Amino acid sequence: MATGFSADIEAADATSDAQAQVEPHRFLRAVRGNRKAVAGVVILLVIAFAAAFPGLIAPDDPQATIYPPNLLPSWNHLLGTTQLGQDVFSQLIWSTRLTLWVTLIVSVIATFLSMIVGVTAAYAGGVTDRVLTVVTDVFLILPVLPLLILLASYLPPGVTSLVLVLCITSWAFQARQLRSQGLSVRSRDFLVSARVRGERPMYIILVEIVPTMTSLLAASFLALAVYIVGFAASLQFLGLGNSSELMWGTMLYNAQQAAALEAGNPWWALGPGAAVALLGAGFALLNYAFDEIGNPALRPVRRGKRGRAAA
Amino acid sequence: MAEPLLEVDELTVDYLTETADVRAVDRVSFRLDAGEFLGIVGESGCGKSTLLFGMTQLLSPPGEVTGGSVVFRGRDMVRLSPGELRNTRWRDYSVVMQSAMNALNPMKSIGAQFKDALEAHGDPSAEQIRQRSVEVLGLVGIDAAHLRSYPHQLSGGMRQRAMIAMALLFTPQLVIMDEPTSALDVVAQRSLMSKIKDLQRSLGFAIIFVTHDMSVVSRYSDRVMVMYAGQTAEEAPTDAIFERPLHPYTRGLMTAFPSVTGPRRELAGIPGAPPDLVRPPSGCRFNPRCPEVMPVCRSREPELYVVDDADVRCLLYAERPAEAR
Amino acid sequence: MADEPLLRAVDLTRHFRLGGMFEKQVLHAVDDFDLTIHEREIVALVGESGSGKSTVARLLARVYPPTRGEIYYRGRPIHTLRSRRALSWYRGEVAMVFQDPFSAFNPVFRVSHGVMRNIALHRPELKRAQRQPEAERVCQSVGLGPKMLTRFPYEMSGGERQRIGFAQALAVRPKLILADEPVSMLDVSIRAGVLNMMAGLRDQEGVSILYITHDIASARYVADRVIVMYAGHLVESGPTEAVLGDPRHPYTQLLLSAVGDPREKVELISSDTGEPPRVINPSEGCRFRWRCPHAIEICGQVTPQPMPVGSTQVACHVAAPAPQGLTGPAVTTKT
Repeated sequence: MATGFSADIEAADATSDAQAQVEPHRFLRAVRGNRKAVAGVVILLVIAFAAAFPGLIAPDDPQATIYPPNLLPSWNHLLGTTQLGQDVFSQLIWSTRLTLWVTLIVSVIATFLSMIVGVTAAYAGGVTDRVLTVVTDVFLILPVLPLLILLASYLPPGVTSLVLVLCITSWAFQARQLRSQGLSVRSRDFLVSARVRGERPMYIILVEIVPTMTSLLAASFLALAVYIVGFAASLQFLGLGNSSELMWGTMLYNAQQAAALEAGNPWWALGPGAAVALLGAGFALLNYAFDEIGNPALRPVRRGKRGRAAA
Repeated sequence: MAEPLLEVDELTVDYLTETADVRAVDRVSFRLDAGEFLGIVGESGCGKSTLLFGMTQLLSPPGEVTGGSVVFRGRDMVRLSPGELRNTRWRDYSVVMQSAMNALNPMKSIGAQFKDALEAHGDPSAEQIRQRSVEVLGLVGIDAAHLRSYPHQLSGGMRQRAMIAMALLFTPQLVIMDEPTSALDVVAQRSLMSKIKDLQRSLGFAIIFVTHDMSVVSRYSDRVMVMYAGQTAEEAPTDAIFERPLHPYTRGLMTAFPSVTGPRRELAGIPGAPPDLVRPPSGCRFNPRCPEVMPVCRSREPELYVVDDADVRCLLYAERPAEAR
Repeated sequence: MADEPLLRAVDLTRHFRLGGMFEKQVLHAVDDFDLTIHEREIVALVGESGSGKSTVARLLARVYPPTRGEIYYRGRPIHTLRSRRALSWYRGEVAMVFQDPFSAFNPVFRVSHGVMRNIALHRPELKRAQRQPEAERVCQSVGLGPKMLTRFPYEMSGGERQRIGFAQALAVRPKLILADEPVSMLDVSIRAGVLNMMAGLRDQEGVSILYITHDIASARYVADRVIVMYAGHLVESGPTEAVLGDPRHPYTQLLLSAVGDPREKVELISSDTGEPPRVINPSEGCRFRWRCPHAIEICGQVTPQPMPVGSTQVACHVAAPAPQGLTGPAVTTKT
């Protein structure tokens, strides 16, 4: 038997060695090669930079009302000034941090919540599954706007309330999707194998199931981020935020209140509007890119290399 | 020698991806006469299914036929236009896939699918459709009542037989089968193979039967072609392959089948695994696993050599005078 | 062979209710199945789709409890185990290997993950530092180099993955491995190696294996005893050469004739087309009767019980009729 095995070991090693050249940077290479990924990353990096070091880009105090009001864009004021004489560009840059924070925090919390609920429902099955599904459905059909308006009367306006409300109303959608994915993974042999070894259910969910869903979780996160960027801004635009906080949405609100588009500096509204769109686009591009990297069938078709001579 | 029904010459299929080019089928050639049963045998990654898809223009990108020809009834199938292809498909040749559930439409009844196929090639009357449908079902031993059944209502064995019935609607001259029995249990498999052979005898069509399990075809095939890593390793009449296997890979395969009859012998199999076609071994592709490997095998690529009635791609036979094809 | 069997299952039964809670359709996956496995033996459980063989494996692995029946491991009842500790003990004695090498491993982790978890959970006598050498040892015993442990599943071939599957099972130092169709999804040339490895495990590691398969030829090659199942019932069992050399049950005969010798050009005698068995709300009587060329009246009325015939047991009214006046050991009519 020993000789038989050593021949096996040798042959197996020989073939496996040739194939097992794990490229740790294969993922980075894939990202670099994909145009959408590059565009998305660049956008997000720029915005992140603006969030981290606003002073380097716009050294002026964004809330100082020291300039002439309602100026149109010029070299001194790239996006003009507000009705109160504040530099719009400065405001935009300085609002980036809080806007990005809110987007990321909400996306992380909501994705996490939806993952826990979805995967537990899928794995536990039975009564737990039914209960969690009902809860998910209830939160799904909650009418968001009326709820918000209601809550707005009770909650202090501001970022905290915004984050709270956004988290409550946006986790349910992805939970259904993650539950579906959990269901499809549930019967796979490696999970039965984990059960047969005697692993505890929580261990199985967190260690065996969730890591196999990272690409889906990343996609969920990015899709959610796109949604949150726009939705947060919309809510603030409707007046449900705190207009003295520095966020793109509140800028839109203030600009609207001052009728900036019609009578003042339209760029006061267009600036943050474009910024919201850009941030959303950044996340969306990354989402598409990850899809393409993960699933070769979705990649743009390149011309085949014709004329390859038959041997 | 009579004109062959099908002549495949140096067919080559490549997968052209951004990261690498993979030669999945490398200069495969064979001929098939009318009424002949050819078994194409090989394991995972040998290219046998890709060969079929390449022959019948069923490849999806990034797969492409990059060389060779497939002459069937005087015309090169690889270079037919979509219109010409449509005409000849199902009439002159048909394809039976590995899994009927993938090939049959789950939303339509069997009868409806037969009707679709019949109407695609002509203008038959409803009565003609019915008659022919019942006829082909009878050929494979399925009750005519099942014309109204949906694929999921039939057992696995019956579905495969329905697929074969559909393939025979126009009594083509060539039926290509890609592992039609691998999803079936032993008894169903044997029964289906027997039925296929019966049909072949009575209707006279040629068969190309692709499988990973040689024992499935060995009773019925006239010739066997063994593929390894995208190339033809050996091709010979069935009896010759079994009695005098020449290629070390074929010999290894022979020792891999446990049998229920006869004395119990040591089962050896072949250690290692098929090569990664992105980076195939230099020289002969089988050399890392070959029990009879010689030093030259690691550097020189063998051609196909003729040995009596067989073709072998192995340097053990390279001293033979003629190079085949 | 020790007198006390390693594993003994009696009247093992498992039903599944199809559809929702109020459905009346019951699938009888396994009915009144008896099984004995001794130390250091390979027992082949042969059957086709719908035979119940995989369900038997999962019952013995306590993936779910039996609807009825008893399982004894070294005399201890297993079917009633409930406490975590007791189940954990059992899992350190009986391990399972799965059919599909492609889904048996979590693609996110290296293959060492399962092996190391098994060692951590079931080998408390080993200190941390001893775990890696132990993992390498089991890797060697299945014919793989220790480097294999660092690979991801996608970097390994099917045959290599199946061997690691056995290594994972061996890591708990089991007395019995339940191998559910371990070679069915492997290329034919690779199967021999894995089958030889299994025989080696029996001889060198002293492990018993329940080898579940639909391929009766491989059962002949590697098993000491063979049990044939059909539609949830045991139809024939006994020493390998006895069952395969002189099969008594018509189903065993059918299986053997379907496999035969690949070089014989013998035409098929039977017209059996291999239709799957009826196991949903089945009636009393032999479940093979619709396909059986020898069926008699009693076959449709009374379920045949396994009766000794020479060195084998056969459940067939024709091949092994119950003695006059009795209808077999367990006379109760089953609902």
